Amino acid sequence: MTHCPECDAKVERNDKVLGEVFPCPDCGTELEVFGTSPFAVQPAPKEAEDWGE
Amino acid sequence: MKAAIVGGSGYVGGELLRLLVRHPEVEVAQVTSDSMAGKPVGRAHPNLRKATDLAFVPHSALRPADVTFLATPHGESLARVPGLLDEGGIVVDLSADFRLHDTAAYLQYYHREHPRPDLLAKSVYGLPELHREALRAAQLIAVPGCIATASILALRPLVAARLLDSRPIVVDAKTGSSASGQEPGPAGTHAERSGAMRAYAAAGHRHTAEIEQEVGVPVALSCHAVEAVRGVLATGHAFVLRSMDDKELWRTYRAAYGAEPFVRIVHETDGIHREPEPKILSGTNYCEVGFASDPHAGRVVALAALDNLMKGAAGNAVQCLNVRAGFPETTALDFLGLHPI
Repeated sequence: MTHCPECDAKVERNDKVLGEVFPCPDCGTELEVFGTSPFAVQPAPKEAEDWGE
Repeated sequence: MKAAIVGGSGYVGGELLRLLVRHPEVEVAQVTSDSMAGKPVGRAHPNLRKATDLAFVPHSALRPADVTFLATPHGESLARVPGLLDEGGIVVDLSADFRLHDTAAYLQYYHREHPRPDLLAKSVYGLPELHREALRAAQLIAVPGCIATASILALRPLVAARLLDSRPIVVDAKTGSSASGQEPGPAGTHAERSGAMRAYAAAGHRHTAEIEQEVGVPVALSCHAVEAVRGVLATGHAFVLRSMDDKELWRTYRAAYGAEPFVRIVHETDGIHREPEPKILSGTNYCEVGFASDPHAGRVVALAALDNLMKGAAGNAVQCLNVRAGFPETTALDFLGLHPI
């Protein structure tokens, strides 16, 4: 188990593998597994969005 | 448990009926309406056609029930509640008549002396997230106003965690047309309402007193009518003692609502629906709360969205009954809403 770097929610490893991208269960941030022992995650790279401003 | 609904032909009465005719522990014994007496409830609420054989009866035909819901206009509950309490049943009042415990605040916002201050002291403010234990033994439950519910749920965690300075919290609320009820008026005609973004209470809205009672700090409330049938979005501007990041705000709101069945914390970093939005909550009993830190202005923006007829009225009333009667709290309230809508 680790914590989301954005919202501090508990994040379980379960069967996630190195490099896997998954959403945080609370804030929805796309997280990428960068370590499995110990389990560690970081925000996954993403493209900036244009909201039409 | 036998239930009666007084004032069942209005929008809130219709939502109470929709929920209670499918409640496995409740039998709706009577629903009253003088204007619709003798007519099937489906005449007023077409979504309930063939869902029940109930017909409206006049108010004068009301008989004692285990629980009586009062969905009548403000002021009318004052006359009915004492007699209903004497009969021994539970009373769930959806008007504003018994929400305020401070008689001076009642006089200020409702412009009359409260005739039964002794009953104000006995009523329990019907917000399970704040008063669950008191509700378990309540005989008189005063269901909060819709804008008050959203504002309180958005702001209370920040106040409870002592994160705010002494300045009043500014709340900007938007609401749909069903919040003003079914009675026709010049402001509700299609020509006036369609396309409206109208500040109908820039200051002095009655719910200010409820919010201050439950949150415990001064509040400056402005209310706007917008182009929607259902929904409330309350945006609170709360000025903080120090800057804080999203993690701290997440922890604050999780501590308040992490175990609540009808409060969802929404502050997402991706997707379209990143913050609370009333549209997707139509018909549900959920209140979504969210937040944003604004160090530049020294504030936290606290948001809450709900359906004014559900978590803002009838749904919350049924949730209160579930708590009071010992039923599972989510009974008859499990609708997840529609998307798209």
